[in-house]
Amino acid sequence: MLELAGGFSALFAPWPFLYLVGGFLLGLVFGAIPGLTATLAIALLLPFTFGMEVTNALIMVMGIYMAGIYAGSITGITLNIPGAPSGAITSIDGHALMKKGHGAQALSLDAFASSVGGMIGALVLMMLAQPISQLALLFRTPEKFSLVLLAVVTVTIVSRGSLWRATIAMTLGLMISTVGIDPMVPKGRFDFGSYHLVEGIGLLPAVIGLFAICELLVQAATPARNAMGVAVAELPRLRHRDFIPDFRIIREIGAFLYLKSSVIGVLIGMLPGGGAAMASFIAYAEAKRTAKRPEAFGDGSHEGLAASESANNAMCGGAIIPLLTMGIPGDAVTAIIFGVLLIHGLVPGPGLLVDHTATIAPMFAALFVASAFVMVSVVAFGPFYLRLARINRGMLYAFIALVSMAGVYASSFSGFQMWMALAIGIFAFALRRFDYPVVPMLMGVILGPYLEEFLRRSLIVSKGDPTIFVTSPFSLLFLLLTLVFIWLLRLRPSARAGSTG
Amino acid sequence: MTGIARPNGQAIFALVLLVLTSVYASQIFKLGLPFENGVEPGASFLPIVLSAIMYVGALRILLVELRRGRAETADARPQSDTVPAVTVLGPLVVIAATALFAYGLERVGYFVAAGAYTFAVALYFNFEDSGRPVYALVLSAITALAVTLFGWAFFVWLFELTLPGWNL
Repeated sequence: MLELAGGFSALFAPWPFLYLVGGFLLGLVFGAIPGLTATLAIALLLPFTFGMEVTNALIMVMGIYMAGIYAGSITGITLNIPGAPSGAITSIDGHALMKKGHGAQALSLDAFASSVGGMIGALVLMMLAQPISQLALLFRTPEKFSLVLLAVVTVTIVSRGSLWRATIAMTLGLMISTVGIDPMVPKGRFDFGSYHLVEGIGLLPAVIGLFAICELLVQAATPARNAMGVAVAELPRLRHRDFIPDFRIIREIGAFLYLKSSVIGVLIGMLPGGGAAMASFIAYAEAKRTAKRPEAFGDGSHEGLAASESANNAMCGGAIIPLLTMGIPGDAVTAIIFGVLLIHGLVPGPGLLVDHTATIAPMFAALFVASAFVMVSVVAFGPFYLRLARINRGMLYAFIALVSMAGVYASSFSGFQMWMALAIGIFAFALRRFDYPVVPMLMGVILGPYLEEFLRRSLIVSKGDPTIFVTSPFSLLFLLLTLVFIWLLRLRPSARAGSTG
Repeated sequence: MTGIARPNGQAIFALVLLVLTSVYASQIFKLGLPFENGVEPGASFLPIVLSAIMYVGALRILLVELRRGRAETADARPQSDTVPAVTVLGPLVVIAATALFAYGLERVGYFVAAGAYTFAVALYFNFEDSGRPVYALVLSAITALAVTLFGWAFFVWLFELTLPGWNL
């Protein structure tokens, strides 16, 4: 814990701090612009991390992550167009307050809740990371297989929409992960005679294709009048001091609601596939269930706003716990952070915190400080937030296009990787067009090699006996958890929906 | 609706997935049989499982969509005032520009390739947004210049990554 706290002193050196500020501002812009997300911002950053120190790269990513999740609610409140899915629930009450003429107060309460949630999430991360790492060091190969299987299944079943489509998306990702050298024997698979494919399909073209190129194509297919807000000119002119939160309202909301919602956010974040949108939804539902005036929810409830926003920023700290301690990314952002670590030769997992505490500790501090930045940012930039949705699309997407493609080339020196990014981008665009989620596909690409390697190693150890997965207590626990999640997240909701018609 | 109706886009995409799965599965035979040595699943085990899941999933979607037919799945696609069939033409323009950039970067160098690429992408979005060709051309030229120089400054000067500058 003390070593982790030492990350604060490393963070406040000039360069790391500048990276944090830069990442925070980037996340703010990307999160606030409808259609762009923190995931896209971090995906675009991935090529640049080749030229950065790993600590600075991780600090910058934390700034983007926290700001991007928070900023998703800005245009949700002002225009009822959430900049990212994480802001969708906040928009319900935030925009209702906006329509009543309390827009600045809604934005400041939103930022306050994000700050509180983000800080609680970061503190939980600092407290739990090392104990969970110590526990995870006990895991042997069968336990690791069951844990990866738990992540694969959970990410698939929590995807919105058709389970079949999510399963296909995950399977496609796993299939991509099998291209290249076999993990156990030095033999090429699915290379179709191409020496480029013998190396496998890299994470960089996969991330850029799935998130940047795909988004570019989605935006090219969306007319400007559908993509951007049009009501900005009708909004009142606001001053910086209008964005200081009213502490009387904060007292009315109560510390317990902030704490409860943040804990829900952390727990959802730790669940593979949980994500900010689910965290804010569950915290909102729980706040409504226990509210004195549940009828106010949906009509500008301060409690509703605080609950959803505390939870989705607390989720950030929670999502990083399984990544760093067990090597399991739970969502797209942590999957890309996984890539940043791999690029720099660090393998996410229980050994990471033991062997590289000094490298990782500033990342935790960055998450905490970025949470504090949220509150500062709303006072400093509040009046300008309203203009973010009107940024010139030509400039924005020319920038994204160039950074994506030139980034893939600059970090791989390979024209083939650019073609691969384009091909994956076109395929991902088709997937989105036909309602297939792309996040499970990325998770499949990342988790596939581990799933296969741990499965095969376990069976070698057991001489082909599959009961090895149920005779180990931790492995059995993870398999049972997988079944519980399937029941809780898919079977029970389906049964309830069926019984209520 | 009962029976098989005219295929919709979803059904056609499910067919594409089945074809891709078949291309993938055709390579499995080169990997040997699973559990050949009686202990280890081998290189072909996971690909076989994945192919089976793909066949079942894509076939199920195909059958459901064929039963639904075209009329039930027709969706209202967004229309642009300036670009006809924007949902098709827009992505095609961006794909063509991106492919030309990927082809040209090593041949003509960063400045020409990036300048042309960012100009094309900006021009498409600016024209679609404003409907004014001259305005879109001027704005896109300025955008291309700024983004190209910014990209070079970022990649090469700030992060010390390598890009081919001029290959003409």
